[in-house]
Amino acid sequence: MVSKKPSIGRQKIAMRKIPKKNNLQVTFSKRRAGLFKKASELCTLCGVEIAIVVFSPAKKSYSFGHPNVESLIDHYMTKNLPPMVSNDTHKLIEAHRNANIQELNTQITQILDQLEVEKKNREALDKMKKANQNQCWWQAPIDGLGLLELHRLRVAMEELKKNIAAIQVNRILQESTNPSPFVYGGNGHFSHHGNIHGNIPNGVDVASVIPHVNNFGYGQRHY
Amino acid sequence: MTRKKVKLAYITNDSARKATFKKRKKGMMKKVNELSTLCGIDACAIIYSPYDVQPEVWPSPLGVQRVLSQFKKMPEMEQSKKMVNQESFLRQRIAKASEQLKKQRKENREKEMTQVMFQCLTGKGMHNLTIMDLNDLGWIIDQHLKETDKRIESLTKGTQSQAISSSSTVAPSPPDEMLGAASHLERQPFDVNMDTMQRQQPWYMDLVNPQEHMGFGGDEIILPFVDNNHNGFWSNGFFP
Repeated sequence: MVSKKPSIGRQKIAMRKIPKKNNLQVTFSKRRAGLFKKASELCTLCGVEIAIVVFSPAKKSYSFGHPNVESLIDHYMTKNLPPMVSNDTHKLIEAHRNANIQELNTQITQILDQLEVEKKNREALDKMKKANQNQCWWQAPIDGLGLLELHRLRVAMEELKKNIAAIQVNRILQESTNPSPFVYGGNGHFSHHGNIHGNIPNGVDVASVIPHVNNFGYGQRHY
Repeated sequence: MTRKKVKLAYITNDSARKATFKKRKKGMMKKVNELSTLCGIDACAIIYSPYDVQPEVWPSPLGVQRVLSQFKKMPEMEQSKKMVNQESFLRQRIAKASEQLKKQRKENREKEMTQVMFQCLTGKGMHNLTIMDLNDLGWIIDQHLKETDKRIESLTKGTQSQAISSSSTVAPSPPDEMLGAASHLERQPFDVNMDTMQRQQPWYMDLVNPQEHMGFGGDEIILPFVDNNHNGFWSNGFFP
């Protein structure tokens, strides 16, 4: 049982120019981003000013600077200029900028943490899927199923679909007896609450699914 | 390399800050070096810190001069194109990470709902599902039905042409695509299969017809290939 890893992980690499052009470009892209990330962290943690300029294999320039690239380069190139005297206005601007950056740092950390959670989630779901595939034939990949099985599966799913539609309608009727700000349209269409797929089920004819309910009580509850 | 996660905020402790600066500055310079060597490109770094009047640079003052003049020679627009400061850099990272998060959540939701669908097929109750769950479940079912139909169609086309061409040859067993996952079972009379599967998970019973006894009764309705003669299940022209 061989499990597929998403990538080969960290490998030791020789310190010379990468021979393959494609690998070189990918490496540049990744390492440049990593370098800027390190620089950004250094600025935040230690309150220093940094400028980095790199040229891509395609001769394009990428630059990072805190507070900004241009002023730092100018400062460096005209070395005789004494360090800028910071007065109150400058201090205020700097404080503002740093507060901003602090906020952004918090945000990115949060999102990355959530991303880690979802990745663990994915692994758990994949594991469960694999275990279930071995137990139940209908969960096996569709391409592995015979015609007979496919038809059976199809029938079962159509039934399930009907059952779900019935439950959905039931829920609406329940909601309509307990008034709540639940918006829906006339004959069985109802709005979704922004679920991931934006799915609005096909119109369900209430009368056919729940024969004893007439449309009057239902139709009255228009919000 | 620290084992504890460092909070991304200004280090207020002076000595800790200075120590961190030394380490990280060294590490960062190493990274610039590696980037330059591995990719065969020109680069430079300049650091102004409260610990030194002179900026710390890489590769060398001369090297920095060279790169900066190369940079300055470019048209202004080209210079600014991929220029970032901390804020813009962080915003870019946030945007990218948000996209990844959104995508991963959607993938996971689909996987989750697919599992729920299969559970429902075994008769698990659906009444603890929220309205959103039901919506997404419906979508997943539709997707799965589409795939199933597609596969049925491709198999049907395949076996139809096969039936025509193999009418003169002896085919001792059903074509493999008819058997699929349960192929080791289907070589026996159909009844046996039904029993085996029925014993495992009677989802079919729950949903299609609660009263119907498992057997050919149910299948006669659905399957186009079933011969009502129980013995001749496969005698519909797939083999003589």
